[in-house]
Amino acid sequence: MVKQTLDIVLNPLATLGRYSRLLFHAFGAVAELSIYRKNLWEQMVKSGVDSIPIVCMAAGFSGAVSTVQTAYQLVTPLIPRSTIGAIVVPSMILELGAVVTGFILAGRVGARIAAELGTMRVTEQIDALESMGLNSIGYLIVPRVLAGIIMFPVLYVAACFVGIGSGMLIGDLGGFVPAEEFLVGAREFFQPFDPIFGVIKSIVFGFLITSISCFKGYYTQGGAEGVGRSTTQAAVASCVFLLLADLVLAATLL
Amino acid sequence: MKFSNEIKVGLTIIVATVIFILGVRYFEDLPLFDSTYDLVAEFDNAGGLIGGNIVRVNGVVVGSVEDVYISEATGKVMVEFHVDPNIPVTEGTYATITGFDALGVVRMDLVLGPADGPKIPEGGMIAAGTGGDLMSDLTAQAPEMLEDVSSVVDQLNGVLAETNAMLSAPDSDFRQTLTAARGSVEQIEGLLASERDRIASILSNTDSLTADLNASLGEDGEAVAALIAQMEETMATLNEDLERFQETNEQLNELLQKLNNGEGTLGLLINDSSMYHRMDSTLSGLNGLIADFQSNPGRYLKEMKIVDLF
Amino acid sequence: MISVTKVNKSFNDKHVLKDVSVDIPEGETIAIIGRSGSGKSVLMKHLIGLLSPDSGTVTVDGIDINAITYAELRRVRRNFGVLFQGGALFDSMNSFENVAFPLRTFTEMGEPEIEDVVKRCLAMVELEDVGAKLPSELSGGMQKRVALARAVALQPRYIIYDEPTSGLDPETSNTIDELIRNLADQLNVTSIVVTHDMHSVLNIADRAAFIYEGRMHWTGTIDELHRSDDQVLKAFVTANEYKIGLS
Ligand SMILES: Nc1ncnc2c1ncn2[C@@H]1O[C@H](COP(=O)(O)OP(=O)(O)OP(=O)(O)O)[C@@H](O)[C@H]1O
Ligand SMILES: [Mg+2]
Repeated sequence: MVKQTLDIVLNPLATLGRYSRLLFHAFGAVAELSIYRKNLWEQMVKSGVDSIPIVCMAAGFSGAVSTVQTAYQLVTPLIPRSTIGAIVVPSMILELGAVVTGFILAGRVGARIAAELGTMRVTEQIDALESMGLNSIGYLIVPRVLAGIIMFPVLYVAACFVGIGSGMLIGDLGGFVPAEEFLVGAREFFQPFDPIFGVIKSIVFGFLITSISCFKGYYTQGGAEGVGRSTTQAAVASCVFLLLADLVLAATLL
Repeated sequence: MKFSNEIKVGLTIIVATVIFILGVRYFEDLPLFDSTYDLVAEFDNAGGLIGGNIVRVNGVVVGSVEDVYISEATGKVMVEFHVDPNIPVTEGTYATITGFDALGVVRMDLVLGPADGPKIPEGGMIAAGTGGDLMSDLTAQAPEMLEDVSSVVDQLNGVLAETNAMLSAPDSDFRQTLTAARGSVEQIEGLLASERDRIASILSNTDSLTADLNASLGEDGEAVAALIAQMEETMATLNEDLERFQETNEQLNELLQKLNNGEGTLGLLINDSSMYHRMDSTLSGLNGLIADFQSNPGRYLKEMKIVDLF
Repeated sequence: MISVTKVNKSFNDKHVLKDVSVDIPEGETIAIIGRSGSGKSVLMKHLIGLLSPDSGTVTVDGIDINAITYAELRRVRRNFGVLFQGGALFDSMNSFENVAFPLRTFTEMGEPEIEDVVKRCLAMVELEDVGAKLPSELSGGMQKRVALARAVALQPRYIIYDEPTSGLDPETSNTIDELIRNLADQLNVTSIVVTHDMHSVLNIADRAAFIYEGRMHWTGTIDELHRSDDQVLKAFVTANEYKIGLS
């Protein structure tokens, strides 16, 4: 009984410790990046470039929905229609752009990373890398995490661009607000710090999703079933910590 | 065609960076490609202005506010902003903060100086608008006018006392003086009568403006209660000031009446031409103020800015 | 020279290696034999520091590989070529790239030279034409042979084979045995062959080490193996001979 209670406290701590140690090793391996440069490019394509369509699609829908819902809620004719732009654009830049990207990529990139590394672990491919004298953490984890840190802001920009564009388009086509007025509202209420905050957020999300997924995948145990477990845990943990980080960042930086 | 990973990634990053920079510049109301033109303005009161608010010239958006802070040295509000470099911000340009804080629609308006003047250099300081708002103008000017009037009355008392003294002196050349006085007083009476008409017309102008405002409020019957309340508050202050106007006006009338009553005994008044001049300048100052208010109410009535919304 | 001294290893509560000691001299081919689950693969992973012992030491060329830094350990590992039991081919790369991988990573060779070496290595395992195939497109035996080609590509001083011939037909098995023999003889490679195929053991090994229930039950030369009257060892060997006799 006492042991169980103790485990509830100690297990997360132990996990955090192992996670930190992995990151510490990864940090140490950054110096060898030149050896793993090719992997970095490959990961930037897999996590970044290849994710553009799905991220754009998700952002496009959330931008359009934001416009329609804002228009629906603004019933009084006294408030100018440009307010729709003034609400949709900042919420895209501040919150939706980064969070939608994050959720999509927790599923797409996080699950892929965990499954890849998990399979490599259970089929001894990681052992094979190590046995050759390679630093498997440097070879596998550093490029994935770096690719996340570099490409997530890129995807964030794509998400904002498409999200704002589709919000504006739906506003115009749906007769809620002409595109010009939408932009006037957006410009009037634009805060220069907002996009910077968004980029910071996307960098943090990129780091969290890729590093958590690498951690889950790298320490996979128990064959094919273990790979499945790691994949699920990676996606879930990424989403949970993404939301936590969102709150912490908003509380500290805004 | 198959692209290498490096090319794909590089292209993606470049495109994203370009979109990011252009997007931010667009929303910041900066010219997309030109460099910017940074200026500073100093105010007593920021009126809710914050970074990101737009800067307009004659109602056209030309830039945006970068930062608003209190100067450590002077305690004044410093507003850093940038505008399109093609805007001729010349010497004599002044800035006013306008808009309606409650809705968050605060902006800065620039009134450009003479077009042929020298351009204010990058980072230069722009003065706050001299106009201020009507309320403070009126409040500031009303006691001044009252002071003027009471000094006139004081002087008048002095003159009356002197006249009495002169009248009681049997050896004065009274008749001669009286004849000259009569002619002059008639002249002054005519002049004052015409001034009276002007005052009346000024007051009726103000009344019609108030009616206009009331009418425009009536049109937008479904206006949010808060806005109406705000308007009514403004109207109330305005009425209060109109009352003060009337008070001043009544005092002027009183003065005129006194002048009329004392007609026969004001021989020396004519010699004191400064009194007439003083009254005339008070009246014409008031007149100019009202004319300005009428032609450009927005500049004076910061809170009346809401009129622009309708 | 590799020495394993009194190594103990447990997973959770399962004591897998118990006081295991074995010396592997330079240039020798040693066969590590034992029943399935006896701890052969676990022992083999200790040799290159993939697992570290709970107690005891493993030294390679006189260096205790568990007392050195990770960077130094990696330098030691460069002397090894390892064939893992399941092949452990990188499944994102085709066969050619798998074999070329260590060459590209650790040598300054140009692409034509690498192609040359890879082709030669694939020919050694009789798989000249599978270069473009992904591991998932190969049979288990073919995967293992590509992995073998990868393990020997850098001509390491030590090669560890974890069951190189299991899952192969007898003919291919013989080819692989011959390959291991040749590498050992011509390049003076020290070979550690983990196997339960007695046929291979007799073909290629100088010495054998028999692990039984986690202990190093018996070590000796092949001649000694034939002459040994240890009951457990005999049972293991005859079980194999019975199999050989059947096939
Ligand atoms: N990572 C691990 N975690 C827990 N137990 C393990 C681990 N690796 C090996 N074992 C256990 O150690 C024992 C020995 O395993 P090992 O793989 O060395 O067997 P083996 O002798 O190679 O058998 P085979 O001939 O079938 O390959 C097994 O019982 C296995 O369950
Ligand atoms: Mg094994």
